Amino acid sequence: MNEYRYDHRTVQGFILSAIFWGVVGIVIGLLISVQMWLPAANFPPYLTFGRLRPVHTNGLAFGLGVGAIFGLSYWIVMRLCKRPLLFPRLARVQLWLFNAGIALAAISLMAGHTQSLEYAELEWPLDVAIVVLWVMFAVNVFGTVLKRREEQMYVSLWYVIATVIAVAVLYLVNNLALPVSLTKSYPVFAGVNSANVQWWYGHNAVGFVFTTPILAMFYYFLPKATGLPIWSHRLSIVAFWSLVFAYLWTGAHHLVYTPLPDWIQTLAIVFTLFLIAPSWGSVVNGYYTVGQDWSKMRSNYLTKFFILGITFYGLQTVQGPTQALRVVSQLIHFTDWVPGHVHMGTMGWVTMVITASVYYVIPKIYGTEIHSVKLANVHFWLVLVGQLLFSITMWITGIRQGWMWKATDAQGKLVYRNFVDTVAGNYPYWQTRTLAGIVFTVGMLFFVYNVLMTIRKGRALERQAAPAAPAASVTAA
Amino acid sequence: MAGKIYSKPIAFSIAATLAVLAGSIAMMAYPMLRAEMHPKVEGLAPLTALELAGRAIYQREGCVNCHTQTVRPLQSEVVRYKGNRAAEPSGRYSLAGEFAYDHPFLWGSKRTGPDLAFEGWLKSAAWHHAHFEDPQAVVPRSNMPAYAFLKAAAVDGDDIGAHMRTLRRLGVPYTDADLAGAAAALQGKTEMDAIVAYMLSLGKAVDRGGKGGLELDLEEKNPLAADTAAIAKGRQLFDAQGCGACHGDEAHGQEGVAPSLVDDEFLGEKGDLPDAAYFGMIKGGSDVKKQLGRPGLADGGMQPFGSELSDEDIWSIVAWLRNQKGHEAAEPPHEEAAEHGNR
Repeated sequence: MNEYRYDHRTVQGFILSAIFWGVVGIVIGLLISVQMWLPAANFPPYLTFGRLRPVHTNGLAFGLGVGAIFGLSYWIVMRLCKRPLLFPRLARVQLWLFNAGIALAAISLMAGHTQSLEYAELEWPLDVAIVVLWVMFAVNVFGTVLKRREEQMYVSLWYVIATVIAVAVLYLVNNLALPVSLTKSYPVFAGVNSANVQWWYGHNAVGFVFTTPILAMFYYFLPKATGLPIWSHRLSIVAFWSLVFAYLWTGAHHLVYTPLPDWIQTLAIVFTLFLIAPSWGSVVNGYYTVGQDWSKMRSNYLTKFFILGITFYGLQTVQGPTQALRVVSQLIHFTDWVPGHVHMGTMGWVTMVITASVYYVIPKIYGTEIHSVKLANVHFWLVLVGQLLFSITMWITGIRQGWMWKATDAQGKLVYRNFVDTVAGNYPYWQTRTLAGIVFTVGMLFFVYNVLMTIRKGRALERQAAPAAPAASVTAA
Repeated sequence: MAGKIYSKPIAFSIAATLAVLAGSIAMMAYPMLRAEMHPKVEGLAPLTALELAGRAIYQREGCVNCHTQTVRPLQSEVVRYKGNRAAEPSGRYSLAGEFAYDHPFLWGSKRTGPDLAFEGWLKSAAWHHAHFEDPQAVVPRSNMPAYAFLKAAAVDGDDIGAHMRTLRRLGVPYTDADLAGAAAALQGKTEMDAIVAYMLSLGKAVDRGGKGGLELDLEEKNPLAADTAAIAKGRQLFDAQGCGACHGDEAHGQEGVAPSLVDDEFLGEKGDLPDAAYFGMIKGGSDVKKQLGRPGLADGGMQPFGSELSDEDIWSIVAWLRNQKGHEAAEPPHEEAAEHGNR
């Protein structure tokens, strides 16, 4: 009855590309973590911390994150619309452009071409390429949705559509710039206004790259992997609309105590506190879904990835609003607490859900099982331990740092007047962070190996089953 | 029914777009229309060609990944970055109007190294040159990468002219003369000169130089001379105030950064001056050089400590320096060059 074909190869291409850029981004992350405590590990001019940190963040947010989002969203969209992509060739071109774009992005960042805007570092020619990529994605998502063969749009589709719209608005506005040359431009916004626009963008890049598309995966792959239906459709409706509405108000909580007008800071803090509600809407929905049969935690190896993922999402979305409070911000803002917070989201929530989704998708493409559940379990425990060690270490050192900056004696004089005292005390913590990163990386290498071995097994099966029909890989599973 | 929207993708997309735009308009677009988002302090001038070249290097090297440029209105922060020396109370922390020409803002989000918003008031050119070249030689436990390669790279003057033209189109008031003079201003300058010039420009739109007009009586004697308790206290204060960061742990000075305080020279000339001259330099910083009749180094960047140290504290430091000098005369200096610095 399923005569139509799903384009597996583009999905798999995006997944493999995401894995490749993920490994690159993680290895660079390890290098810059060493540079934090060993300045001799900087190799100027191309391989200094200042130039590599954006390669790490862009490589993982856009290479791993967006690559996986493209691939897995297409998987979700095709299935929820019960039809192939409307423009499969366009998706193939998008895959190649994506990889060329990320490669050029990495090179240009190492060459020092940057707008100095966090998560929007890339200079204007690459911005144009990204807009083209996003338009391709949007055309395929909207086209396929409009021509769907299933009347109702499931919650994952809502999140994919919201992602497409919000990222387009954010990216276009924040990257408005006047070029000086091919490699240098000046953003049109200046000073306080530029700060406000940037963090409206920066925070929502987190919201619409690290949250909504990952929730789309969560709502789709959790029921698929466990066979348990989502607990409450109504709760997912309420959570969706309140999340999509409230997120855009909150960016200025990154600018607490800066010269930004107070009313903008305060309003952002208020909406940030409100954001706990829709975030926990999804957390509760996830827990109650698995709560229908907790034995799935034991019997299905993917369940724990999703449950731990949504747990870290839940912790993240309480920690974030707490940080926005003025009294907390003044202690931990600008310290290592913040990378601790971010990495709980990226290593704990985003990567958990993406890797679990990939574990689900890759065997399905070949109609087989994962190469090794045991290795997947080893991967799970290593990334969990690595991430916890990373985040907890950074929270401790962040509080310590913030406290040393603030410490004054009875006369109001600074106790740690030499700034370097507050730096050097971090070295043991930064070394521990590198160790945590190594544990996490080893875990991820188990994942990569497991996926590649599954593909190898799948290809061998294909060859056995249909030696005369190489197109088998694109027929429906 | 509202439930219908989940089977109507166009209506759904319009609703989602409106949801996304609501907060965007309220928090991003609407503030942009208000004057409070575009303030300008009175003393604000566009960066010179050399400073602008330095800013482009600051961007290129990703300095913003480790250094913030905004002093928050917190007591400990004001004290740390010497905002308490500002002529006006409002100048103690960063003001919105200081950043009107910053395309884009460079406030940063991580303070691995110190904040640089007031850097123009805090360090000398010589300190920065030495520090960029080899940070650990000046601040031993620092984790900053070395930027010695900037010394070997020339700044491209025509290129900076193009930068200035672009910024002028965005509203930065560069004159024709500024544009025409860019190439000449950068003649023979290295990238190191440029980034140091940029460092020295930071925070300069507001007067944070400390209270001037120090009355100096060169005849005044040190009331604490040879007081052993004061000498011990002076030693402590020298360490606690971080004097060693520039002058070396034992006050022997650091070549190319700051002079020895225990030799026979003062402000670059042979022959020492009386205790009161030391007292004046510590209290009032480099400005006091004029009253001493010695020009010193062109880049002299001694900070005033008058707002942090009582007169008694300053006399204690002078007492320790004099005592130290006495020791130096008695025994030749030994190998401690590697030990100097900020600890």
